[in-house]
Amino acid sequence: MELTTILFYLFSIVTIGAAAVMVFSKNIVHSAFALMFALIGVAALYVLLYADFLAATQLLVYVGGILILILFGVMLTSLGYTFNFRTITVNLVPATVLSTGAAVLLIFAFVTTEWKITEVAERPDTVYDLGMMLMGDYILPFIVAGVLLLIAIIGAILMSTRLSAENKGGT
Amino acid sequence: MTQYLLNINPIAILVHAAIPLTIILVYALVAIWAERKVAGFIQDRLGPMRVGGWHGWAQSIADLLKLIQKEDIIPADSSRFLFKFAPFMMFAASYAAFAVIPFSSSYIGSNINIGVFYLLAVTSVLTLSIIMAGWASNNKWSLLGGMRSAAQLVSYEVPTIATVLTVIVVTGSLNLMTITEMQSGNDILGFLPNWLIFQNPFLLVAFVIFFISILAESHRVPFDLPESESELVAGYQTEYSGMRWAMFMLAEYADMLLLSLLGATLFFGGWNSPFGEFMSGPFWSFFWFMLKGLLLVFVMMWIRWTLPRYRVDQLMYICWSILIPLSFINLVLVALWEVIF
Amino acid sequence: MVEAFKNSWITFKSIFIGMGITIRHFFGKSVTLQYPDERPVLPNNARAKLYVNIDDCIGCNLCARACPVNCIYIDTVPSTSDVDLGKTSTGNPKRFWLTRFDIDMAKCMYCDLCVHPCPTNCIYMVSEYEYSEFNRTNLIYHFSNLEPAMVAEVKEKAANEAAEKQRQREEMMRKKAEEAKMKQIEAKKQAEEKNDGEKGSEPSKKENGDS
Ligand code: SF4
Ligand code: SF4
Repeated sequence: MELTTILFYLFSIVTIGAAAVMVFSKNIVHSAFALMFALIGVAALYVLLYADFLAATQLLVYVGGILILILFGVMLTSLGYTFNFRTITVNLVPATVLSTGAAVLLIFAFVTTEWKITEVAERPDTVYDLGMMLMGDYILPFIVAGVLLLIAIIGAILMSTRLSAENKGGT
Repeated sequence: MTQYLLNINPIAILVHAAIPLTIILVYALVAIWAERKVAGFIQDRLGPMRVGGWHGWAQSIADLLKLIQKEDIIPADSSRFLFKFAPFMMFAASYAAFAVIPFSSSYIGSNINIGVFYLLAVTSVLTLSIIMAGWASNNKWSLLGGMRSAAQLVSYEVPTIATVLTVIVVTGSLNLMTITEMQSGNDILGFLPNWLIFQNPFLLVAFVIFFISILAESHRVPFDLPESESELVAGYQTEYSGMRWAMFMLAEYADMLLLSLLGATLFFGGWNSPFGEFMSGPFWSFFWFMLKGLLLVFVMMWIRWTLPRYRVDQLMYICWSILIPLSFINLVLVALWEVIF
Repeated sequence: MVEAFKNSWITFKSIFIGMGITIRHFFGKSVTLQYPDERPVLPNNARAKLYVNIDDCIGCNLCARACPVNCIYIDTVPSTSDVDLGKTSTGNPKRFWLTRFDIDMAKCMYCDLCVHPCPTNCIYMVSEYEYSEFNRTNLIYHFSNLEPAMVAEVKEKAANEAAEKQRQREEMMRKKAEEAKMKQIEAKKQAEEKNDGEKGSEPSKKENGDS
């Protein structure tokens, strides 16, 4: 077997295993850390596909940003770090229906899609091409996403200032 | 990157990987000793003097041997796997980041195109390992330290990245080797080396912001809140002992060196000799590079033994109200400068 | 805005001033003494181990009474008339045998208060400070130079002499009392001749009780 293949299977196992731990763990912080392993595994898979920029972004944004915020949020909520979750199904019937539906849809999509298979090849200049594409062909979605994020930030700031103003008024 | 890995035989890979590791290990031993010496000298003391004869040079080696022999204590209520794993992850993260540092004109671990970006991405895992250590210890000091470090690192990543971005705007490349090569030559005012810090005044501002944020990112005084001894015992390291604690120490010092070397690469011409062609070449370039990095490390130590620690709210205020706006304004100004000149 | 610039200017200025100070100290001379290799020269009035020049001690007990922690233990026996203990170097006559002069340096807090009251300047601090011990009792220093046999002898002698003196004194007392009685009786006889028997006995009883 080739080294790439071995690495691929290794990281796939890490990713899937970590994801499983994340879902079945009874402790929410353990889940969060399992999520970290899953995300890092995915980043490694990106590297194997020569998508180095994507891999680094995955690390920076998901592991370094979002996951830390998740952990932060979990730990700041009361009892967040000692609380054990009861992982039992609450709404048995609707949950079954929904998940079956989702599974059917996913499998259907997977089977019917015509997957384009290309040989992975190293590109000399991923970042350059990426930048050119973002600023050229895909400028509109790029800007729309940017505006969306801006709106989200402004909304968050507004909400937090209003909250603190209320707190000040109250006390 | 993978192609590169696959085409080289395993021994070469090992040697390649071992070079930064050796540098880190030797550096950590020297730096821990030097830190104590610097502290001593600044406080009119002598620092360690006994072990090994001349100025106690073997002190850190003796400490290391002691730490290796120590019992590995794991708190009963800790989360065992995470507790054991955290120090190694922390060291792995800072070690992995060394792959893209151009140590000399002819040696770089991995000459990938996204160098700086990769470095910043990998070091963000550091935060996570600190939270992991803090939470897994099941100790209030550790947890507080972990939380503080999370808040601190997430915040200070923004000005760091913004200032790195200013450099990238000037150089147009993410590859640290390319960035360094662009800074060779002595053209500014006829004699100054072409280092970015001399190239335009806004880059000087950028360097100041960058330096403040790397102080915060490597948890150095005045931003050492995650491990502030006087209030949090030792922060996230409180429950650690022996070898695992040594790993933390190593990772911390490695992180310090990493960020200093990054600063040296981005602003001080990396491995370029300050005298142009004089004293250049693979070995000398390594020497210059380490010299610049270690000088920055020394400044960090110097600051540590000069300034008191900030409060948490002051820390956040400095970051969000001063450094981040300033770094973004600075980014725009640098871009304008680049367009005009 | 201007305020912010001013503040940051002040911040940077103070940081650089501070760093200037520390770097000056960095290159300055260290004050460390490498202790076992180098030893400090103690000043003359340094407070360290106590020493008693027992030959000069007159056993006045002033030092023991001055000590706030009561760590000086002095037992004295008065010398008998047949021996002359001589004089101290300061000229004070010595009148006591010092059967015990112990200083418990484990308790001593080096306050120096015992040194100054001494009339003959024979208790003082010497610049020796390395006298740690494994056993605390070893820190009790014995300064008395009398042999146990000698101690017993002088004690016996002193006791004999004291007994002798006591006897003499009692004798004298009795004589005095008798004389006083006689005088009183005479005086009373002169003053009032009726009730002399009753009132004369009371004062004499009192005097006996006092002695
Ligand atoms: S120095 Fe002070 S404590 Fe010590 S023996 Fe003299 S009076 Fe007592
Ligand atoms: S004060 Fe001096 S003379 Fe008097 S008992 Fe003490 S040491 Fe002796």
